[in-house]
Amino acid sequence: MIIAERKPFAEIKAMVAPYKKILIVGCGTCVAVCLAGGEKEVGLLASQLKLALGLEDKHLEIGEITVERQCDLEFLRPLCDFVTDYEAIVSLACGAGVQFLKELCYMKPIFPGVNTTFIGVNNDAGYYTERCRACHHCYLGLTGGVCPVTMCPKRLLNGPCGGMVGGRCEVDPEKDCAWCQIYHNLEREGRLEILRQILPMHPHDRTTTPGTVIHPGYKRRYGVHE
Amino acid sequence: MSKLRETLEAGDFAVAVELKPPRGTEVGGMLAPVTALRERVTAFGLPDNAQACLHLSSLAAARLVKEAGGEPLLHLSCRDRNRLALESDLLGAAALGVENLLLVSGDYVTLGDHPQAKPVYDADSVQLLQIAQGLRAGQDSTGQPLSGNPAFYLGAVVIPEADPLAPQLLKMEKKIAAGAQFLVTAPVFHLERLRSFREHLTDPAIKLLVTVKVLEADELSQAMAGGWRKVYSLPQELLQELAGQEPAALESEAVRVAGRLVRQIKEERLGDGVYLQARGREDLLAAILKQAEL
Repeated sequence: MIIAERKPFAEIKAMVAPYKKILIVGCGTCVAVCLAGGEKEVGLLASQLKLALGLEDKHLEIGEITVERQCDLEFLRPLCDFVTDYEAIVSLACGAGVQFLKELCYMKPIFPGVNTTFIGVNNDAGYYTERCRACHHCYLGLTGGVCPVTMCPKRLLNGPCGGMVGGRCEVDPEKDCAWCQIYHNLEREGRLEILRQILPMHPHDRTTTPGTVIHPGYKRRYGVHE
Repeated sequence: MSKLRETLEAGDFAVAVELKPPRGTEVGGMLAPVTALRERVTAFGLPDNAQACLHLSSLAAARLVKEAGGEPLLHLSCRDRNRLALESDLLGAAALGVENLLLVSGDYVTLGDHPQAKPVYDADSVQLLQIAQGLRAGQDSTGQPLSGNPAFYLGAVVIPEADPLAPQLLKMEKKIAAGAQFLVTAPVFHLERLRSFREHLTDPAIKLLVTVKVLEADELSQAMAGGWRKVYSLPQELLQELAGQEPAALESEAVRVAGRLVRQIKEERLGDGVYLQARGREDLLAAILKQAEL
C-alpha cells in the first residue's frame, strides 16, 4: 500500500491561512491504514486547526468528509457538488489522490495534508517499511524475493557494495544488507547459480513519468494499438 | 601501455599512492607528492569525491598529475553520474591520456557533505566495468560504434575481510568477468586474513594491489573502545603494540606500521603491489616508502 505521513501542522496552518471556509477530504484506503489521512485524521486536523486559530481569535469554518478512495473516480464524483461551498480543499490522500481530486474540482485551490513517502507494508501498528519503488521491471524472481532496487539504497543489481559490515548496510547499520539477504535466500532455495549472471543496467526509459498502463483487455476501448 | 600495467604484467612490484584532490582550486598540495615521488611511485590514485565529500574533479586531477610527470590512476564512481556521463568521462579520460581506471560504486551520499544530493547509481561497478570494456572494444553501452578505441587498464575494488565473504566473492567474480584486470583491496592491517583471501584469487592474470592505510588516531581509539565498524580489522597484536601511545608519537608509529606492512606484502608477495592511502597526510608518504625500503 501507499504510505504517507501527515505534514507538520504549522505547514498546513500556513497553507490555509488566506481562507475562511475549507474542506478537509480524507481517503479511506492506504492513508487510513497508515494513520495519516483517514476519517480519524481528518477530524483530528479539523480540531487542531479550530483550536489553534481560536487561540488567535480567528475563525475558520471547516467541512470534513472522507471518501473510500481518492484515486478512483467512482468515489470522487459525488464530491463535486459538495466542494462548491468551500474556498479551498485540504486533501489527506496520497499525491495521486490530491491530483485526481484537483482535476475534478479544478476551480478550487487544493493543498496536500500529507507527504506521500513510499509503497510499503504494514509491519505492525504504526510501523511501516518500504518494499517497492514501482520501477516497471521486477527483479524479485532473480533475487530471492528481495528487491535490490528498493532494499539496497544504491540500487545495485550485481551484489553488495564494499561498505557492508557484518551483513549490515553501509548507509544504515540498523538495516540488513539487501544483497546478503538475497544471497542467503537464493542459497536456501538452492538457486545461487542465477546470481552468476551479470544483470544489465536498469531500463530507465520505461520509468519516464508520468506512467500509463492500459490493460490488454481494454486497449481497443482506449484506442491503443498493440 | 600504462606504467602500472607494464609493471604488474612484468611481475614487478607496483607502488601506487593515493592523492587528495583539494576541496577548492589550490592544487599545489595535491601535486607536491608527484614531484617528490614520481621516480619511486608507479601510479597516483585520484579518488572521485571520496567519502561522498566535495573535492576537485578526479579527472581534472588525473590530467594535472600527468602534466606534473606522474602516472594517474583515475577513480570513477557510479554515485554522481548516469551512464551517459560515465561514458563521456571515460572517453574524456582516454583523450587526456589517462589509462588506469578504478571503477567503483561510490560511498552513499548521505554519508558525505552533500547529504541532500540525488544519488544516481544508474550503473553499478560491475556494469561500469562492462561499459569501459565495451568502449575499449569500440562501442558504447547501447552498442553504437565509436571513433577511436580508448586503451584502458581496468581496476575494481575488493573487500578481503568482508563479513559475510561469499556475496563479496561472487561480486568479485562478476567484476573479473566484466573486465577487471587488477583489483585494489580495502585497507589491510591483518595479513593473515589477506593470506586466506588470496586463496580465492585463482586467476594469475588478475593482479592485486593491497591497500596500506596510515592508521589514524581516531581509528585506534575506536578500536580500543570496542566500537569498531569498518570493512577491515586491526589485529590484536597491533592494538597491543600501539596501546598507550601518546597522540604525538602515534604519527611516527603509524608510519612505521605502514612501512612494515608494505615491506611484508612485498617480501611475502601477498600482493602484486600496494596502494598507499594517507587520507590527507600525504606528507608522510615519503617516510613510509623509506621505511619500506622502496
